Amino acid sequence: MRLIDLPRTGSFRVALLFLALFGTASAVLFGFLFLQTHQFIIANVDGWLAREAPESFHSSLPDIERQFEARSATNRSSEHAFSLYGTEGRLLAGDPLQMPVPIAVFDRPFDFKVRTNDNHKRYRGMAHQLPGGEIVLIAQDMHEAREFDESFIGTVVWGGVLTAALGLLGATLVGAGTVRRLDGVAMAIQRIVSGDLSRRLPSNGTSGDFDRLAHVVNGMLDDIERLMHDVKGVADGIAHDLRTPLTRILAGLERAQRRAVSPSDYATAIEGAIFEVRGVLKTFSALLRIAELEDGARRAGFSDVDLRQVANDVAEFYEPVAEEKEIELRLACSGAGPYTLNGDASLLFDAIANLVDNAIKFTPAGGSVTVEVARAGDSIGVGVKDTGCGIAAPEREAVLRRFYRSEQSRHEPGTGLGLTLVSAVARLHDLTLTIDDASPGCSVTLRQAQFCIDLNVRFWGSGFKGKELT
Amino acid sequence: MKGEMARILVIEDDLGTATEIAAALTDHGHEVASAGVGREGLLRAATEEFDAVVLDRMLPGGMDGLAVLATLRATGNEVPVLVLSALSAVDERVRGLKAGGDDYLTKPFEFLELTARLDVLMRRRASPQRETTLRVADLEIDLPTHTVTRAGQTIELLPREYRLLEYLMRHAGQVVTRTMMFEEVWHYRYDEPTNVIDVHVSKLRRKIEIPGAPPLIQTVRGAGYVLHAPH
Repeated sequence: MRLIDLPRTGSFRVALLFLALFGTASAVLFGFLFLQTHQFIIANVDGWLAREAPESFHSSLPDIERQFEARSATNRSSEHAFSLYGTEGRLLAGDPLQMPVPIAVFDRPFDFKVRTNDNHKRYRGMAHQLPGGEIVLIAQDMHEAREFDESFIGTVVWGGVLTAALGLLGATLVGAGTVRRLDGVAMAIQRIVSGDLSRRLPSNGTSGDFDRLAHVVNGMLDDIERLMHDVKGVADGIAHDLRTPLTRILAGLERAQRRAVSPSDYATAIEGAIFEVRGVLKTFSALLRIAELEDGARRAGFSDVDLRQVANDVAEFYEPVAEEKEIELRLACSGAGPYTLNGDASLLFDAIANLVDNAIKFTPAGGSVTVEVARAGDSIGVGVKDTGCGIAAPEREAVLRRFYRSEQSRHEPGTGLGLTLVSAVARLHDLTLTIDDASPGCSVTLRQAQFCIDLNVRFWGSGFKGKELT
Repeated sequence: MKGEMARILVIEDDLGTATEIAAALTDHGHEVASAGVGREGLLRAATEEFDAVVLDRMLPGGMDGLAVLATLRATGNEVPVLVLSALSAVDERVRGLKAGGDDYLTKPFEFLELTARLDVLMRRRASPQRETTLRVADLEIDLPTHTVTRAGQTIELLPREYRLLEYLMRHAGQVVTRTMMFEEVWHYRYDEPTNVIDVHVSKLRRKIEIPGAPPLIQTVRGAGYVLHAPH
């Protein structure tokens, strides 16, 4: 982190802005307080002057003289001054206060300064001219008021400086924290860009804005990593699935080249090669089909499809296969119809057929396979349940991946793309694919998203009214 | 399996594919004419006499397959047209058929699939089906009553077995592929038909074939089936 980056960080700027706002607000508040206090003090002084003035101003000259002498004798250190001056400005009686020249106004409070020894003293007082030309002055020393003003302003200034310093320090800390986190994120992103997809944005465990963002981005990175993994899996799958038949084709052709003597030898070799190539082509077609489904391009051809009809057709289509393997194939309905959804009948047939095909493949003789169409509320779903070997829980996600073959299915014929296709068809129809344990066997259901959990009870529930197909 | 000699126009811009299609059709016993661009194809289809046209959906040069097809149909030309396309989306197929195509085949396809479909298209043109009975050798279907008899003996068939047999009988002597059977009998489309259809056919065979007698339904390796009277 460089210090020069600091002013560019948002949090530092926000902190500064708040500091400025707080400063302005405080200045206004303290200014107002200062003004109010000042006026209160002046009003106090003026009040005192108004109270004292009549007694001092409207007595006879000797009375005033006597009165002032008495006061000055007793109140030597008082902040109040009572002085009587002759016409020429000489002190006649009272406190030895130099007469202010000129006197700004008579009979009303006024401020004046008087030089005593080395310094000026501030007073606020009231003067009155007696009929004989003598001047009566009563005044209050404003030194304390001024000291109050000064300490008030001092407090405000020091408080302001301290606040500003703390604010700046806080802003720097916050800004530095932000810069450090941004540096961490930038570094993580750089690592991700340079290929380390397992890297995640750092988060310090609090639930702040930044962590929420990091959380979302990390979720996105999880997805991207999974997709990249899928892509790699597909590439590996293609490479692996193609190498085997291509090796066989090559071996067959080479053998024919080496040993074949009669046209029928060649014919056999060609036939073998055609069979293998057909298999390869089939894999590619399936891949392209899945890609097309995942593009969602096929949705334009959607129309209303009766899911029960499709399920029925699939069951009927597979009935002789099941019969040959001595497996009972049943069709069931639960919840009231109609079982109509907007979709592509052929794709739905394909998906259900794939599930039934798998179910029959992995169910031993004597077992049963059930195709059920169900409705709960506004949503419908279709499921296929068997009594076969089932799919182990850790594999349930994986079987949807292209070319994934589980331990049990490794030796069965197939492209390893069946369930991927089913999953693509399901996504295209906004259906959720779920693989569950049916102990024994497994059940795969495709249901509309709003189809809530209680459907699980409806599906394969105790009130099962399966009927055997004829 | 050789069909009757027919003249077929192949409108396809990819030279390799065109050559392979022409070779397959020639081997099947047809005479083939080729056109590489839409205008040339349209001109030949409109001025010459063909039994069927194989038309690529995507063609270079401003006039694509559907435009050729629409123009051809607008002039009142009713020649059977099979549209080839790399696009398998359902609405693409619907558009191809709407523009006047009689059938739609997605690339990549097997040539036996192409020849079988062309045979069916040309035959469909030749004989409108108004019969009430279908007969191949001593196997007979009475269409109104859905009754099947072999050598006078009534055979009990499940509804789907009946539909399958009827389809095979209607196309007696023609190769029908699994895809075609699946489309016509089960009314779903699959580009990659499973061998479940083989199971259906073998069940049907068990019911209609007479042990010891030459079989009526024969397997065409790698393609499908053909039902015809033994020679």
